[in-house]
Amino acid sequence: MKTWKIGLVLAALAVLAGVPWYGSDVLVQFGINALLLAVLAQGWNIIGGYTGYASFGNSVFYGLGGYGVAIAMVQWQLPFAVGMGFGVVLAVVFAVLLGIPVLRLKGHYFAIATLALSQVMTAIVSNVGIAGQNIGLVLPPLNNDPLFYELSLGLLTIATLTIWGMTRSRFGFGLIAIRENEEGAAVMGVNTTLYKVMAFALSGIFSALAGGIHAYWVTFLDPASAFDISLNVKMIIMAVFGGPGTVLGPIVGALTLSTISEFLSSEVTSIAGLFFGLVIVVAVVLMPRGLADMLRRMRKMGWGYFIENIRAHRL
Amino acid sequence: MDLLAQILVNGVLQGGLYAVMALGLALVWGVLNIVNLAHGAFIMLGGYASWYLYTYLHIDPFLGLPLTAVVMFALGYGIQRGLLNLVIRAPMFNTLLITFGLEVVLTYLAQLVFSADFRTINPPYAGSSLALGPLVLPVARMAAFAVAIFLTVGMWLFLLHTRLGRAIRATAQNLVAARLYGVEPRHLYAMTFGLGIALAGMAGTLYGTVSQINPYIGASLTAKSFAIAIIGGLENPLGVLVGGLFLGIVESLTTLYIGQTYADVASFGILVLVLIVRPGGLLGRTT
Repeated sequence: MKTWKIGLVLAALAVLAGVPWYGSDVLVQFGINALLLAVLAQGWNIIGGYTGYASFGNSVFYGLGGYGVAIAMVQWQLPFAVGMGFGVVLAVVFAVLLGIPVLRLKGHYFAIATLALSQVMTAIVSNVGIAGQNIGLVLPPLNNDPLFYELSLGLLTIATLTIWGMTRSRFGFGLIAIRENEEGAAVMGVNTTLYKVMAFALSGIFSALAGGIHAYWVTFLDPASAFDISLNVKMIIMAVFGGPGTVLGPIVGALTLSTISEFLSSEVTSIAGLFFGLVIVVAVVLMPRGLADMLRRMRKMGWGYFIENIRAHRL
Repeated sequence: MDLLAQILVNGVLQGGLYAVMALGLALVWGVLNIVNLAHGAFIMLGGYASWYLYTYLHIDPFLGLPLTAVVMFALGYGIQRGLLNLVIRAPMFNTLLITFGLEVVLTYLAQLVFSADFRTINPPYAGSSLALGPLVLPVARMAAFAVAIFLTVGMWLFLLHTRLGRAIRATAQNLVAARLYGVEPRHLYAMTFGLGIALAGMAGTLYGTVSQINPYIGASLTAKSFAIAIIGGLENPLGVLVGGLFLGIVESLTTLYIGQTYADVASFGILVLVLIVRPGGLLGRTT
């Protein structure tokens, strides 16, 4: 990476880190939500963007992270950090146990199996006594929004650095090889099962940490909100809109779409939902490789970029 | 024993309805290779169409079925021709994503236009039922089941014996060869999608006569339809019928012996199991 680019990223990070000092309370709260969504988009980026396995069930990890924190703090009176660790353990166990069979599936089959898993988890957790069943758990309140903001920003930074490091490692190249041609990757000596499960688990760890921070922040957790299926919608759209399989794309996508959605939902709530749907439809037709690719290639091709995309995929 | 028999009957009646839900999804998937994640949302729209026809024009939901089917067919044809045909050659994930987007759009549009209230289509015979020995057979469910069987068998005969049906099957097998024989794919794809959506719309009507509809029922109905299509395979409507009956029975047995909240766990658990063991469907081709 060029020096000026690193400087730009560091400057953006400094501006973001300073928000609690110069921003309003509302901005900080919006920031926590947007940053946690960006973490989810980055988590999805690992399994969906780099490995090419479109998971529609990453919200399960988010829910497990939330429940890890809630169960540890409410039922066992342990500190928050231990709860985060517990959530990560749950996510990794889930990723390995279910990842091994489910990651054998390809394409549509994998996508729907993960979608089904996220629905099953809601029903199962509603029946688990230690997780508060349907009623949910109330966590001890900690009114410290700036702390949660910095935690979220820190987590996003770590997730992004991990992905950046991954893209220049043997592991990252292995994942890209699996995305481009799984049989080919296996022939070249990539242990595809191990790599896929590791990618799924890594994606799960970041999602679980985001879920843990969110649960402690809102101090309440029930199955419907923890395993919220619409979170899958959001994280996928944000990653795809920004540019899946790029280091910074999902962050740009998440922050852009969160901001627009925030302005829209201050008018009518359902308009924001409608907007998300329209963004997906339009993005898939006009810019299927995301914002990053569009910005790069529109400089050369202009509006022809959109026509080119349609021409390449229409019947 | 009576209880078990009643539960089995309930499961079979529910299963017929499930089969119609899955029929359109399986058709579109098999021919166009699109898993239509908006399928459940179209079922929801069909339900609302019949609700409006009944509430404001007093057209019986069963008599209004052809009308609902025609409207939904036109909608499906338009969406395929104007939108989905633009991305049909893109990677699988893109077509999955665009139907996902459609699902979100339709759900929130429905919430804006129809409001989030629960609606039920309540014709005069809604509460009545027949007694057959110890068994109770609700009239609306029986009618819905009869229509479901009629539509499934009709679809099977249509695919086997009509010109359009043969063209659809030919395209599913080999697009290039079908083109050489004079099939116009843009039109045929749109016809197929239209048919799939018309089936979804009629399933919505039947669903509305036996349960409540609201804008958010779509996602779980899509997942159920998918499970049935996986169990039954994509080639044959009769396989889909078996898949639907199977799922209906499993759900009612789970509700009886384990508990209501586990009914979804059972159906999706079966889905994941079948996917892992036999991705081509229990009754489908082996892969």
